[in-house]
Amino acid sequence: MNAKGQDKMSTTREITLGDAMKEALAEEMRRDEDVFLLGISIRAGTFLYTKGLVDEFGGKRVIDAPLAEPGNFGVAYGAAQEGLRPVLDWMYAGFSYFAGSEVFLQSGQYHFLHGSQHPLPLTMIGTCGVGRRVGNEHATLPYGALIHHPGLKVCLPSTPYDAKGLLKSAIRDNNPVFFLWHTSLMATKGHVPLEDYVVPLGVADVKRAGSDVTVLASGLQLHHSLKAAEALKDEISVEVIDPRSFEPFDLDCLLRSVEKTSRLVIVDEDYERAGFAAEVCALMMEKGYDLLDAPVKRVCHPNMPIPGGYIDAYSMPTPDRIEAAIREVCR
Amino acid sequence: MALNGKQKKLLFTNLVRAHALDRMMMRIIRAGKMVGFYHEGGIALAPGVAAGSFLRQDDAMNPHYRAHGLAHMIGKGVDLRTYVAEHMGRVDGCCKGRSSFHVSFPDHHIFGWSGNIGANFPPCIGYGFAARYRGTDQVVMNCSGDGSYQEGRAHEAMLMSANWKLPHIFWCENNGISQSTAASETFPVQDVSRLAATFEIPALIVDGQDLFACGEAALKAIAHARAGKGPFFVELKTYRSQEHNVGGLNNEGAVTRDPKLMQEWRETLDPVALAAAKLIKQRLYTADEIEQIKADAEREADEIELFCEASPKATPSIDELMNGVYAQ
Ligand SMILES: Cc1ncc(C[n+]2csc(CCOP(=O)(O)OP(=O)(O)O)c2C)c(N)n1
Ligand SMILES: [Mg+2]
Repeated sequence: MNAKGQDKMSTTREITLGDAMKEALAEEMRRDEDVFLLGISIRAGTFLYTKGLVDEFGGKRVIDAPLAEPGNFGVAYGAAQEGLRPVLDWMYAGFSYFAGSEVFLQSGQYHFLHGSQHPLPLTMIGTCGVGRRVGNEHATLPYGALIHHPGLKVCLPSTPYDAKGLLKSAIRDNNPVFFLWHTSLMATKGHVPLEDYVVPLGVADVKRAGSDVTVLASGLQLHHSLKAAEALKDEISVEVIDPRSFEPFDLDCLLRSVEKTSRLVIVDEDYERAGFAAEVCALMMEKGYDLLDAPVKRVCHPNMPIPGGYIDAYSMPTPDRIEAAIREVCR
Repeated sequence: MALNGKQKKLLFTNLVRAHALDRMMMRIIRAGKMVGFYHEGGIALAPGVAAGSFLRQDDAMNPHYRAHGLAHMIGKGVDLRTYVAEHMGRVDGCCKGRSSFHVSFPDHHIFGWSGNIGANFPPCIGYGFAARYRGTDQVVMNCSGDGSYQEGRAHEAMLMSANWKLPHIFWCENNGISQSTAASETFPVQDVSRLAATFEIPALIVDGQDLFACGEAALKAIAHARAGKGPFFVELKTYRSQEHNVGGLNNEGAVTRDPKLMQEWRETLDPVALAAAKLIKQRLYTADEIEQIKADAEREADEIELFCEASPKATPSIDELMNGVYAQ
C-alpha cells in the first residue's frame, strides 16, 4: 500500500505493522521515563509488538498484569492521575468490555466531570477485526461504541506508517486514547521512515485519489476498498479515504472529497446499526447533503453477532461487496 | 500505636467539625438547596476523620462516599467550601458545578469519583503503583463501605496490591448494611477483613465508634504502608442509624429497621460524646473548651454555607462545556 507522507522522508525501510508499533513504544519509552507498558503476558509477546521490550526496559516498565481487567485499567488510570504516562494493552479490544464502566464511563469522562482541571495521559491498545474465525469476543470492533461515549480519542491504522505515527501521538496526548489495530494487519508491510515523526489524531488520509465516488474505510477494510477500487479502475474512478481516527474525525477531508465526487460509500467492519458508518451518514445529511448526487451507501457487518467458523469470511465486508456497493451508487 | 495528646485533640476537633458539616449538609438538602443526593453520616464519622487526619498532602486518598467524604477530607486540608459549592451547583464548585457530588482535589491527591460503588478499588491500585514506580513513600488511603467489598474489583485490588506489595490501605467502614441488605446476608464470613487473610494482608478490626481506636489503627496502617511492607486492611465497625440516602428508606430487606433501636444507637454510640468523656477524664480538655470547639465548628459550617450561597449558580454555555471535554 502507499501511505501518503512517507515520500518526504529521507530514510525509509519496509517493516511490518507490528514492528512499527514496537518502534513507537520503544522510542517513546526511551524518550520519557514516565511511559510504561502493562498487559497480560506482554513480556513474552502475545503479539509481536511487545516481544523483547522487557530486555531493554526491564520488568519495572514492561509488566505482565494479572487477569483482572478492571484492576489493570486502574493501574493505568490511577498512575496517569499521578502523572505517569501508562500504556495499557488489552490484548483483544473486546476484553476491555470486562472493565466496561471504567472504559466507557470513566476514562474519557473523568476530565470533564471533574472540572477540566487534570489531564489523563492514558493509552489503551487493543486488537479487533473479523476474519480470524474465533467469534465475537476476539473480533468485536469497539470504535463505534467508544466514540459514542464522549471524551475518548479512538484510532485504527491501516498501514505501518500510520500505526507508528498514531501510536506516538496517542502516547504524547494528554487524554485517554484507545489505539486499535486490526488483527489481520499485524504482518502487513510498508515503508516507515527512520526519523521521528507523528501522525496527528484527527487527520484523515487520501489513500487513493479518484473523481467519481468516495469510499471511506479503515483498517483491513481500507485494503479491501483499495482492492475494489483497483478492480474498477477502467470503469469508475474511486477515491479512498482512511479516517485514521474516529475521534477526532476529519470531516473536512471527507467533505472536500465528496464535493469532487458527489457520491459516498462507507465501509465499516463493525455492526451496521448505530455504528461509525451511521454516524458519518448523519454528518453527511447535516453538513454535506447538497454535495451528494446519490444516497450514501453503507457496507457493514450485518446486525447479527460476529460468528466464528468459516461464516465470518462472508459476513464481513469483502472487496466484492464493496465493489457492488460502489456500482450501486454510481448507477 | 498509642496516640499522644496533640493527636487526640486533632482527631477530636476534626470529628466535631465533621459533625457540624454533616448537619449543615442536612440543612441544605432539606431546604431544597442541594442539587443531587446526600448520604448522611450520622454517628459513623469517626473512621473517616481518623483516616484523613494523619496523611500527608501527597498521600492519595479515596474518601468513602458516606457523608460524602467530608469527614475524610477535613484532615486532608482541602478547601471544603468548593466541595459544598459543588453540591449546590455553584461556579466555585470543585468540579465547576458539573458533577453534583464528585470530589476533585488533584493537588491533594484526591483525584475524583465515580457513582459506581467499588470503582474506588482499581484507581487506588494505580496510586500505589505510581508511588512504587517512582520510589516514593506515599501511601494510599482507600476508604469505602462493606458493600463495596462485594464487588469483584475489591478482590482484584487485594490480589494485586498484595502481590506487588503496594502501599495500599484498605479502610473498610463496615456499618453492617448496604443500602437495604444486611452484610450478614451477603458475606459468608462475619468480618469483612477475613477476606484479607486469603491474600496474606494483615488486618485489624476496630470499634468505629471509638475515635481514638480508629486513630491508632490509622497510624499503624500508615506506618506499615509507608515502610514498604505492602497493603494493610482495617475494618471499622460502625452503624447507620438513619436511612441510606436522605429521603430514602431505612430498611433491612422488606422490613423497616426499628426506630427505637436507631434512637438508642444515636444516644449511646455517639462518637463525639464518647470521645469528649475520655478527653475530660484524661484532662486534655475541659468541658468549656469542648463547648468552644463545638461553637467554632458551627461557625465554620455556617461560613461555608454563606460562601456557597453567595457563589452564583453554574450555568456555562454549551461552547464552554464542549471546550472542557478534552485536555490540551
Ligand atoms: C455499581 C453500583 N451498584 C449499586 C449501586 C447502588 N448503591 C449505592 S450505595 C449502595 C450501598 C453501599 O453500601 P456500603 O458500601 O456498605 O456503604 P454504606 O452506604 O453502608 O456506607 C448501593 C448498593 C451503585 N451506586 N453502584
Ligand atoms: Mg455499609
